[in-house]
Order: sequence, then C-alpha cells, then structure tokens
Amino acid sequence: MTIEGLVKKPVKLDIETILKLAPLEERIYRLRCVEGWSMVIPWLGFPHDLVLKQAEPLGSAKYVEFVTAVQPEAMPGVRSRVLDWPYVEGLRLDEARHPLTLLVLGLYGDILPNGNGAPLRIAVPWKYGFKSAKSITTIRFVEHEPRSSWMKAAPREYGFYSNVNPDVPHPRWSQAKERRIGEFMKRDTVLFNGYGEQVASLYSGMDLKKHF
Amino acid sequence: MRLLKFIVVTLSLLPLAYYGWGASHDTLGANPIEAVTRGMGTWTLNFLLITLAVTPLRKLTGWHAALRLRRMLGLFTFFYALLHLTSYLWFDQFFDWGEIAQDILKRPFITVGMAAFLLLVPLAATSSNFAIRRLGGRRWQTLHRTVYAIAILAVLHYSWLVKADQSQPLLYGGILAVLLGLRAWWREVERREQLAGKYQPKIRNRIIPIQPRD
Repeated sequence: MTIEGLVKKPVKLDIETILKLAPLEERIYRLRCVEGWSMVIPWLGFPHDLVLKQAEPLGSAKYVEFVTAVQPEAMPGVRSRVLDWPYVEGLRLDEARHPLTLLVLGLYGDILPNGNGAPLRIAVPWKYGFKSAKSITTIRFVEHEPRSSWMKAAPREYGFYSNVNPDVPHPRWSQAKERRIGEFMKRDTVLFNGYGEQVASLYSGMDLKKHF
Repeated sequence: MRLLKFIVVTLSLLPLAYYGWGASHDTLGANPIEAVTRGMGTWTLNFLLITLAVTPLRKLTGWHAALRLRRMLGLFTFFYALLHLTSYLWFDQFFDWGEIAQDILKRPFITVGMAAFLLLVPLAATSSNFAIRRLGGRRWQTLHRTVYAIAILAVLHYSWLVKADQSQPLLYGGILAVLLGLRAWWREVERREQLAGKYQPKIRNRIIPIQPRD
C-alpha cells in the first residue's frame, strides 16, 4: 500500500510492516448498509490514524482519498462496468483521523477473507457501509473533496458524507429502518448509526440534508 | 392435456417449495427474509413473461393447445405477486399502514409495483369461464390487455429498485420488448393485409375489426 499526495514523504508499506505498526485490537462495531440491512461485526485492527502518520501529511491536506485494488481474476465483478473501477472512496481528514476509524486487517479473530477486503480495509462505523473502502492499495492526501465511485455513478443518490441518518432518505427508498442480520423484524435506524456521542461534533453547524 | 396441466402446476409450485424449504433449513443466505421477498418478486416477473410468451409460442409453432395453459400461468403470476406483496407488507413493514402509505406515495418503485399489483387483481378476478361469459369475449379481452401495461410497470419496478447493476432488469425488459414487439408487428401485418383486402378471417365474427388509420 502506498501513502502519497500532499505528504512530506510518500511511503510504500507492505503488509508485514503494517502489521508491526501496532498491536491488533478487537473492536465490535455496528455496520449499516445503505441498502437497509445491518450487522454487528468484530473487526481486528488499529486506529487508522497510526498508518496515516507514517507519511507525515502537509498542512494543505484536507481530505483523504482511497484507491482500491482491481483484480479481474480474483474479483469477477469488476469485469462488468457497473462502477468506474478502481473503486474510490474518501473521507475528510478529521474523519479519517477519528479514533473510531479503524484500519482493519481481520475479523472474527482471523485474517480478512478476500470478499471482505483483504488484505486491509477501513471501517467507519457511523457511515453507510460503502464508505468503508476495501482492499486499499493507495491512500492519497488531497486538498479538495474527492469524488467517490458512487458519487460518480449516481450523484443524486450518494453524497460524499453518507452518514447514517434515518431522516435523510435515499431518493428511492427510506432509511428509517434496517434489518439486523439474524433478526426477524426491522429495527429503527439511529443517527450516525448510534455513534453520535463520538462523532456528532464533526458535523456541528452542517446541514446534514444538504451534505448527505 | 390433463397430464400436461398437472406437470405445469407441479413445476409452478417448485419456486415456492424452494423458498419454503430454504427458509426452514436456513439455506437462503445471511438475509433470508430479503431473499424470500425478492425471490417471490422474481418469480412474479418470470410467470408474467411466461404467460405473455404463450401467444407468440402458438403463432410460431402452431401449438394451439398451449392457450389452455395460459389461464393457469396467469393465475400463478398473481399467486406469486400476492406472496411478494404479503412478504413486503408483513416482513418489511409489519403492517404499519402509515409507513406503507408513505412508501407508496414517495418511492416511485413501490408506486409502480403497487399499481401493477392492483391492475392484476381484476384480471385474476375475471379468470373464470363464468366471468368471460358474463363480460362477453371482447370486453374481457380488452380488460385483459392491461397485462401489457402491468408487465411494463413490473419491469420498471425492478429497474428502479436495483442499486447500480441494471443487467437483470435489462434482460427482463429485453424479453418483454420482444414479446410485445412481436404482437405489435403481427397486428401491423394484419392491418396491412386487411387494408389491401387480402385478409381472410379464419373464424367468422370472432375477430376484432381493425380500423384503418388516417
């Protein structure tokens, strides 16, 4: 994985080096998919900020862009042009450095399976699942808000922030409820997926309906 | 024909059996309820297209007995549509009528889906021989032509639901376009023949006359 862009020293880190950056901790997070299901997942990883620090970002860096792997052999889905591959996601710098934002290397006590974003991904528990980019190959510090793959595909439907919010419906379906995997009935969706105490201050004064 | 009908009924119940068995043996993946709702929807569309394929199949193969399966196939379309709707009302909304009304008004894919279902109801209700006699063949046929609109609404419903990958809705849309296109084409050929005075109705008094266009 490369860390580049507005940084003092671009770095290329292999997975062994990253594994040695910090001890892995287990974090049990709720995951809410934009399509209305949710799940409780025990991730293994460490704070994302630890890896960001490796490249010493410049003061002009305001956002982080994630570029992810495209391997048609292992990922047959990328052969159809449903999205503009490679999959690109982004976070504001303060979101990327937030202590809840996790650099993930495993789940359920084991290394990440391919389909879950091996060898490393992020987990941003207060945003819809697609914001947590998988199989990251490049982290790039940038000055302007990056345009993610979903924003390119349907700008009216997927915004940059994509915070979990029951009061901002997807243009085609409601976000008021979710089905927790394993449960029969739907439960109410909570603002910021229930992590408001930790993250609401990041968005104070922002109109969440406008910055969806 | 009785044996054939028996075989068709058995085959038509297989999707239900598959989802019923899967639900009780937990083989429908991580989100079995969504799998059931979507599965019932997919099979509604499948039966709708199979029903609409009967007439072209007859014309192309001359196998007119196929017509006698059409009512049953149409009723299976309604049967799966009813299960699909029930699954939405029950498992997705738990009969929260306020939420359901909001959904119908605010979500175009639910609006068209519900419209398609409501249009299906009179067709299912008038499927008996008694209803055909009561309505008269021509009025019955006019009513049952709403199935073309229903099919278009059903494909739209599917297309507006998917997140990004339109390949499946496009496949259904393509098949529907062929099935409807063939009808339009045949009707146009008939119209031209009639205008040229070449058209010979095979059965007297039972053909709907086609008016020449200005």
